[in-house]
Amino acid sequence: MSARRILSLILMLVFVAGAGLPGLAQEQPADNPRAATGGAQTLEEILARQRGEIGKIDLGIRTERPPAETPPITGPLGPRGNLPLSDFWDKLRGGDPLDVLKPASPEAAMTTTGEQWRLLRVNVLRKYLGWAPLAVIALLAVVYLVRGPMRISGGRSGRTIARFDLFQRVAHWFMASVFLFLGATGLLILLGRELLVPLIGKQANAILLTASMQGHNLFGPIFIFSLLWMFFKFVPGNLFKIVDIKWMLKLGGLFGGHVSSGRYNFGEKAWFWLVMLVGLVLSVTGIVMLFPWLVADIRWVQLSNVLHVMGGVALISVAFGHIYMGSVGMEGSLDAMTRGEVDENWAKEHHDLWYEEVRGTSDSVKEAAE
Amino acid sequence: MSAIEILEGPLWKISAGIFVVFGLWRLAHILMTGRRRAKARPAGSPALGAVRTIFGHFLPSPTITHSSKTWFVTLMGYSFHLGLFALLLFAAPHVAFLKNQVLGFGWTPLPRWGFIVAAEFAFAGLLALWLRRMLDPVVRLISRPDDHIASGLTFLVMLTGCFALGEQSVVLRGIHLGLVELWLVYFPFSSLMHSFTWPLSRGLSGAMAGRRGTRA
Repeated sequence: MSARRILSLILMLVFVAGAGLPGLAQEQPADNPRAATGGAQTLEEILARQRGEIGKIDLGIRTERPPAETPPITGPLGPRGNLPLSDFWDKLRGGDPLDVLKPASPEAAMTTTGEQWRLLRVNVLRKYLGWAPLAVIALLAVVYLVRGPMRISGGRSGRTIARFDLFQRVAHWFMASVFLFLGATGLLILLGRELLVPLIGKQANAILLTASMQGHNLFGPIFIFSLLWMFFKFVPGNLFKIVDIKWMLKLGGLFGGHVSSGRYNFGEKAWFWLVMLVGLVLSVTGIVMLFPWLVADIRWVQLSNVLHVMGGVALISVAFGHIYMGSVGMEGSLDAMTRGEVDENWAKEHHDLWYEEVRGTSDSVKEAAE
Repeated sequence: MSAIEILEGPLWKISAGIFVVFGLWRLAHILMTGRRRAKARPAGSPALGAVRTIFGHFLPSPTITHSSKTWFVTLMGYSFHLGLFALLLFAAPHVAFLKNQVLGFGWTPLPRWGFIVAAEFAFAGLLALWLRRMLDPVVRLISRPDDHIASGLTFLVMLTGCFALGEQSVVLRGIHLGLVELWLVYFPFSSLMHSFTWPLSRGLSGAMAGRRGTRA
């Protein structure tokens, strides 16, 4: 190596050392009293604060990160003790995200399933599922506009047949009233934050939601009563029979042709059992949410919430179809639940087997004009 | 003066005043109307007949117990009236309100669960009876608009009370109180007066029947 080359190397080292020294000098522990505490307030600062000497305290700790050269906090007085951050959260959080049935450790302060539940509720149930009833309404509006109401083929005969007795009708409207109230308040609870806050503001939404929640909780047990009442009033005649298979295969005559049916057709029976089964799910999950101490594990409450929302939204959505068919969608069907009687021609067209049964065994047909 | 102050202050006093004054006026009117004295010799005791009817009619007559309608009306009627009575007089917020705003003294309220159960029974009973009023062709025919207004107003008072159960919102309390005041104003001029007139009605029927030696 030539002398010239050695000299240039020495000069370069001197230059680099000279450029770097001032920066290093600023970060020496001797100049930064917080270096020993990892950026936290020193004992002197804490004592000064306690003496009320606020102006003398540097509050930079609250917003500034400690210098990079600060030694890692591993001593027992550090905020995490000797634990790395990942271990710290692992200890705090319990449960296995891939096995929701595995119980969380007793010392866990929060469960993995709790976060999953929150994400499911926010990102799926509230975001997508809550819109299902509106989608059904839109679909029914299209059906009505395209196809129009189903008219009685031969028109009204003027003679009626008794279809539902007084207590069947009272039980039906009792459940309908309670269900509509619960549906409306439930949807408000589910979607109020997204739908109403932009329209009415946070305060009005909070008032509406607290009212909805109280109403929903109070009417829940009444729904259970109505479910039992409906079951005992309507289960006769709602058991499935062979004739229902034919009805189902022809989709109830949706695309033309007559389909025989007894007192209740397959669609009505399916709706009845859907209400009973989903209603049972709603009742049980509602009870779990109302009285969470009944279950030992919080995950049952989270699961109940998800099932309650899914079942409720599903039932509300299908209920719109039921309401449509029972009112504007089919001529003469509303009479069954308001007056308890239906027109003879309506009965022949939609429930011919029942009509023949009634005609053959009773004299309940009477002139509507009477 | 804020809306809630008006509702709790002057409006409350006015509506409670109308309720008391006109309620008493109607009761006095009924008691003072009088009727022609019967000239026939009594075949039984009118007093005994009145007492027997007032208390005996708490249960349906054995002649009509075979009818499911009878049991429906009886059970739902008790469910509604006892539930309403319990939550009206023994709900903690009501006891506190009566103590602070009306009477100056209070009594032991129902625990919260008891109040909730009472409200469940009251709601279920009222809803079932109101629906029956609308769906039973005979009862529908003999029902007047007043009957529906009284039922609807009572239902709304109960519903807004239920909404305000959280005791978190002055607005909800104000809505409930406003409807209670409307209910109080409507009360003396409507079929709601049966809350006070039922013993008079039963007593008169029982006394007349007792005098004839029969049962009402």
